[in-house]
Amino acid sequence: MDDSLISLFIDDELDLGEKIIFVETVHSSREFSLEAVALLEQEKRLRDLPARMPVLEPQSVWVGLPVKEISSRSWSFRSWWQPMAGFVAATLLIGIGFLLMPRQSTLLVAQAEQRFVLYLPQASQAKIIGTFTDWNPVPMKKIGTSGYWSLTLKVPQGEHRYSYLIEEDGRMVDPTVAAREHDDFGGENTVIVVGGGDAPLS
Amino acid sequence: MDRFRQFYIDNGDKLFGYLLRKSGSAHLAADLVQETFTRYLERYRNNEQSAALLFTMGRNLFYDQIRFNKRFVPYEENNQESVPGQEENYIAREGSDKILSAMARLSDDERDILALVVSSGLKYQEIADIRRCSVANIKVKVHRARQKLKDLLQENNHG
Repeated sequence: MDDSLISLFIDDELDLGEKIIFVETVHSSREFSLEAVALLEQEKRLRDLPARMPVLEPQSVWVGLPVKEISSRSWSFRSWWQPMAGFVAATLLIGIGFLLMPRQSTLLVAQAEQRFVLYLPQASQAKIIGTFTDWNPVPMKKIGTSGYWSLTLKVPQGEHRYSYLIEEDGRMVDPTVAAREHDDFGGENTVIVVGGGDAPLS
Repeated sequence: MDRFRQFYIDNGDKLFGYLLRKSGSAHLAADLVQETFTRYLERYRNNEQSAALLFTMGRNLFYDQIRFNKRFVPYEENNQESVPGQEENYIAREGSDKILSAMARLSDDERDILALVVSSGLKYQEIADIRRCSVANIKVKVHRARQKLKDLLQENNHG
C-alpha cells in the first residue's frame, strides 16, 4: 500500500492514474481509508492555525506596504546586530576623541540623521516621543495619501528609546523593530542604537 | 504600486503562516514578513512577481536570524521572547499551541517542508525549486512529515 498517495490527495497533486489507484485503495483497504481520514483531520487543524497576521496595537499597522523610497526601514532588521556595531563605533569615537582632544573638557557628541516611518492610513495624527526628544512629542508628517507618516531627526549616536503617539492617547512601539523594553509606567518602548555605520544589506 | 499591493494581499498571510509554523513565534513571523516584503520591493519591484521567490527570501531571512541567534544570543532565551501577553493570548485563543509545539518537535527539514506545503499554496514543483531538490523528494518527505506529526500529536494526547 502506497500511503504517500494520501499526501498527494491532500495537496491536489494526484494525476488521473493516481486518482484511480487512490479511490480503489480507499474502497479496498480499511486501514488506508482510516489513515487518509486521520491525516485529513490533522490537516484541518494544521491549516486552521491563525491564517492572518496578529494585529498588534492600533489596527492597520500590518496592512501596510513597504515602499522603496523608505530606505531607512532597512535598519529595522539590522537592529539585531546594530547594538554591537554601535558599541564598537561609540568606543572608537570616544577613544579617538581622547587622542585628538586631550585638553578639551567636553567631547563633541556625534549625531546621525534618523528617519522614522510608520504606516497608519487611518490615523489623523502621529507623533514620536523618545530619549532624543527629551520625551516631548514631535509631530510626524503625513506622506501625501500613501498612509505613511515620516519624520527625520538628528539623533545623537548611542542607544535610544522611543514610542509613537497616535491620535490623542494611543501609544505604540515601532512595529518594525523587534527590540523593546518595558518602562516604569506599564508602557513599552522601542530600543534602537543609532550610529556605527550603515552596513550594506546582505 | 497597486500591482505590488495585490501581491502583498495575496501572499502576506501565506508567508506569515509559513513563518509562524516554521518558527513557532507569531511575533518573529510578523517581523520577518515585513522585512521580506521590504527587501523584495527594494530588489525586484520591476520584475515579474514570484511567490516562490518571496518564500525563498523569507526562508533565507529566517535562517539568517537563527544563525545570528546562535552566535550572539542563547537560542532558548531568544525563542521565548515574545510580546508579553498579546502573542500568548493570540496563540492560545486560536487553540494552535498544541499543533505548534508538535511542529517544533519535527526536524527542521520536516518542519520546513510541511510548513511550505501547508501555507504557501505553491505546487510541489515550485517547492522543489525553493528547496533545490526533486519533486519525488518532496512527495516522500511531506508524507513522512505528516505521519511523524500525527505520532507526535498522539503522544501528546496520551502524555
